[in-house]
Amino acid sequence: MLEVKNLSVFYGRHRAVENVAAQVSPGEIVVMLGANGAGKSTFLRAIAGQTPAMPGSSVVMDGSDITHRPPHEIVETGIALVPEDRGVFADLTVHENLVLGAHPKRARPHEVANMERVLTLFPKLAARRKQLVRTMSGGERQMVAVGRAMMSAPSILMLDEPSLGLAPLVCGELFRSLARIKETGVGILLVEQNAKQGLAIADRGYLLDNGHVTGSDSAEALSNDEKVRKAYLGAG
Amino acid sequence: MDVIIIGLLLGGTYALMAVGLQLQYGVARIMNLASGETLVCGAFGAVWFFTAYKMSPLYALIGVVPAAFFANWAIYRFMMLPLVRRAKNQGQLEVDSILATFGLSFVAIGILLALFGGEFLAYSYLATPFSILGQPYALNRIVAFLGAAVVCVGLYIWLHHTRAGLTLRAVSVNPSAAGLVGINVASTSALAFALGGAVSASGGTLLSMFLNFDASLGVIFTLKALVIVIMGGVGDIRGAIVASFILGLTETAVATYLDPGLTLAAAYVLFIVILLVRPEGLFGRRSS
Repeated sequence: MLEVKNLSVFYGRHRAVENVAAQVSPGEIVVMLGANGAGKSTFLRAIAGQTPAMPGSSVVMDGSDITHRPPHEIVETGIALVPEDRGVFADLTVHENLVLGAHPKRARPHEVANMERVLTLFPKLAARRKQLVRTMSGGERQMVAVGRAMMSAPSILMLDEPSLGLAPLVCGELFRSLARIKETGVGILLVEQNAKQGLAIADRGYLLDNGHVTGSDSAEALSNDEKVRKAYLGAG
Repeated sequence: MDVIIIGLLLGGTYALMAVGLQLQYGVARIMNLASGETLVCGAFGAVWFFTAYKMSPLYALIGVVPAAFFANWAIYRFMMLPLVRRAKNQGQLEVDSILATFGLSFVAIGILLALFGGEFLAYSYLATPFSILGQPYALNRIVAFLGAAVVCVGLYIWLHHTRAGLTLRAVSVNPSAAGLVGINVASTSALAFALGGAVSASGGTLLSMFLNFDASLGVIFTLKALVIVIMGGVGDIRGAIVASFILGLTETAVATYLDPGLTLAAAYVLFIVILLVRPEGLFGRRSS
């Protein structure tokens, strides 16, 4: 289980995220909704160790404190991040990207089994193993990115705006694969601007506004909440 | 025909210094202006082994390569890593590392002058003719070329067919994603920088079989390596190898048909043309 408490991140004197608390358990999908600039990406980057958190912040994974640890050590605790820019190796092949995903020590013994799982989840990738990722479409790159993250055998998978730049059809396909990943017992923390689609597959949700968590509830309750509908679902 | 074979032999040996610089710049992202001094150290190492122990330069490699590896590892770990950690972006790191390694090159020259003096150092090894297609060529040039070919092919296979090599390429392509897949980017960069230094030094050892070196010659080789890396495109050692042959052929042709004094000028004309016409290099891809 991933437990975040009092997480604060400052860029210089600008506060990006302040005293945020959130939890993600295995086997659930949690969505964090917020407008552009609300601090959603910063929140994920801080958990993954890519952006330094302020003293006093606490990120605990399965009982061990991982605050202020470097990214390559955080992956070893079972947290995988698919960043907003996808974080794929564009000049390498699909196969090489997936093999690199299994770089963490925790993933090495299960590399063959995980590769099989990823290729079953995204059959398109199996046919394109030799293709350079830079020559692929946005949707295919996103598959490589999620597949690459799954190769590290995570218990928590974090995705930063996975629907960004994807056609609605491709996006639907991606969200269905996330639901299948959840069924294997992986906890998913999703950050989304596309609130409708996010809430549709999520179990729970948090609302992030101007660096603060302003609400949290079950996905169902959030979709029916008048204020949420107004602010994030475009219903008037 | 003569010019082509001599040019190819020279270019092949140049490939080592280019591949060395490319590992340091392409993976560790340090533009090492002291790479020519590393090469001169490799050459002086060979001279020293030869004059003191009558040892073949090929055996000298056994001492030169590990020494250069550890020296360059230490340079990265204690001098470059603090700059990497401090730099807010790639541009700042490039300026800082260029200044730091430029300074380092003068330190290296000073130490070499103190140890070996300022004269040209030379020795004669395998300076016997060897016939290719009926024409005689110096055997030491051929042996140096073959040595360079072994190192380049070995390095290529290691980079493209082993897990450790893949790790290096991952850092070269996308360092931030490399961290996300659990790669320790700092220690991988240190390895690449050390390996690059070792390859540059081995280039110096092999070149010393047919070129004479003095302590101040490093800068010329740094600039030649730079020309090759920019010409070939950062990121793929195949580009550097092809560009090395182009430089070797150009220099030999200019020295033979025009004037030996114009070789360096010819290298720069080539460099400027490439920069103007194809700034990403012959084989580099435009950054997206």
